[in-house]
Amino acid sequence: MRLLRMDAILLLNYSIAFFSLFTVFFFVLLFLRYRRHLTEAPAPAVDGLFPNVSIIIPARNEEAGIAGTIDSALGLDYPREKLDIIVVDDGSTDRTLEIARRYARDGVQVLTQENRGKGAALNNGIGCAKGELIATMDADSMLSTNALKEMLPFFQDPEVMAVTPAVKVRPEAGKLIVELQRIEYLMILFSRKLLSFIDSVPVTPGPFSLFRADAFKKVGMFDEQNLVEDQEICLRLQAANYKVRSSMTATVHTSVPKDMKSLLRQRVRWQRGGLRNYWKYKFLIRPEYGDFGMFFVPLNYLSIIAFFLILGLMINSVIASPYYTKYMLVDSYVLGLGLVTIIGALVLASTVLWLWLSVRAFKEKIPLQNLLLFVLFYWYLMVGYNVLTAVKEIRREPATW
Amino acid sequence: MERKISYPLYALALLFSIIVFCIGVYVGNMIDQYNQQAIAKEVENISQKVASAQLLMLLDENGSSFCPVYSSQLDSINADVEAIGYRLSYLEDEKHVYDVPLKKSYFVLEAQSYLLSNRIKERCGDNSTILIYFYSNANCSSCRQQGFDILQARDDTLGKVPLVRIYSFDGDLGSPVANGLKAQFNVTQYPSIVINGALNSGTMSKDSIIAALKSG
Repeated sequence: MRLLRMDAILLLNYSIAFFSLFTVFFFVLLFLRYRRHLTEAPAPAVDGLFPNVSIIIPARNEEAGIAGTIDSALGLDYPREKLDIIVVDDGSTDRTLEIARRYARDGVQVLTQENRGKGAALNNGIGCAKGELIATMDADSMLSTNALKEMLPFFQDPEVMAVTPAVKVRPEAGKLIVELQRIEYLMILFSRKLLSFIDSVPVTPGPFSLFRADAFKKVGMFDEQNLVEDQEICLRLQAANYKVRSSMTATVHTSVPKDMKSLLRQRVRWQRGGLRNYWKYKFLIRPEYGDFGMFFVPLNYLSIIAFFLILGLMINSVIASPYYTKYMLVDSYVLGLGLVTIIGALVLASTVLWLWLSVRAFKEKIPLQNLLLFVLFYWYLMVGYNVLTAVKEIRREPATW
Repeated sequence: MERKISYPLYALALLFSIIVFCIGVYVGNMIDQYNQQAIAKEVENISQKVASAQLLMLLDENGSSFCPVYSSQLDSINADVEAIGYRLSYLEDEKHVYDVPLKKSYFVLEAQSYLLSNRIKERCGDNSTILIYFYSNANCSSCRQQGFDILQARDDTLGKVPLVRIYSFDGDLGSPVANGLKAQFNVTQYPSIVINGALNSGTMSKDSIIAALKSG
């Protein structure tokens, strides 16, 4: 029985190692296949016409950032008469509404509602939007002046329903946790761009995303009860087989949590929302959904399973063999070398390589010590997010923003 | 849109994964073999140390002038033997490497050092406690925990009772030495613990092991 159990553990170790290896190779091959097309975008339309664009900015208690956000939207390199900026105040209790109303002179439309959440505020704004394209924008984000013009050409393909920009973290001097998130965002952007080549973009980010107005007529409005409504709408677009593209050159800067507590809260919300969304869209795991259905969605499930299996194996190893760490700590490292450690080291090395490629792709400058901290410390915070997510979901704790 | 599956990418990823996985298995096996060889070499070296201690004892047939030397030699040998035991257990438990011939050589070494302990006890009046632990890797679900409890009991009584020397044998491995000791102490089930010659059949709790060690 004991030998059977040990064989099962060995099989599990090997399976996880193989799965990790396959995932790494797939992404590396994806990069090699599309590396020359990363910054490519369709040429701007020859007629030079600009479609009407409505920018919806839902805001709740954003007095610190709302003015900058509206200013950056007004500062877009885009014909002003084609821009329709709508701020939706979601029952703010601070000066957000007052500040937003000052922009009425610039043609900014301000709507108000009782606090009903971001999804409801977005839907409220979309209901009043007249643009052929609708952008959703967080009230703490800043657009680069060329952002819209860089994203527009992707819509020449009539099947493209949404385009995501390069959402980067707004730097905060002296805030290490912000710097580490900056690295993480670059990695996410880089991976998302590669995924767009196989029609597998999984999210239209809240900080800024551009949709065809028709998209909301075809797949419906934002899910007002969803914890990560920006992911849910994208999964809905994927389920309807619409294309979502990703731009590497349209830059949007966003604010991120500045302390561990807020970061943990944000990530647990993302994880819980993500878990529920992927469960809701489990029907996508079918060959009809191409790479998205046969690789990306299963990858999400398998990653979660693998994460908890690895955690379980590690806990089992410590509980079941306490004397190894007590009497032969160094020896156990030497004797422990083998297939699993070799593949583990390979996966870690490829993570570092991926990090380097991501940073290089965006021509960003990141201090080496921050990269090391990211790999050796920040990356492992996900253990906390995942465990807390699992605990909260198992205890059926109410999910809130 | 018409969706596609990137079969060539998956096929290549699968191919590379299989290649690297096989290389990993091969290198992992090489490392395990190297470790086994290193342990075998250590077993041989310690055997020589045991042999030289036994020789010294034969030369000093009736005297006890070398007792402090024997005692320190035995301590050193026991520490080395125990370290090898941990390494073999680690290879079995964590790496699933079962090297039966090496394990049998290790049991011979343990038996040699057990005999040496006995002789030093007789010759030099050494008051250490000798604990022999019989287990089975194949037919005993509680043996692993029993092994931990024995070590824990030894640690908990350190300095409170005379030194405890532990010798453990897998009784189902077909080792002639282990079988001989089993017969000597009438061991019929696993786990079984022999403390200073007294057999305790079946699982013992940590507290009862401590009590037995205290009563000597």
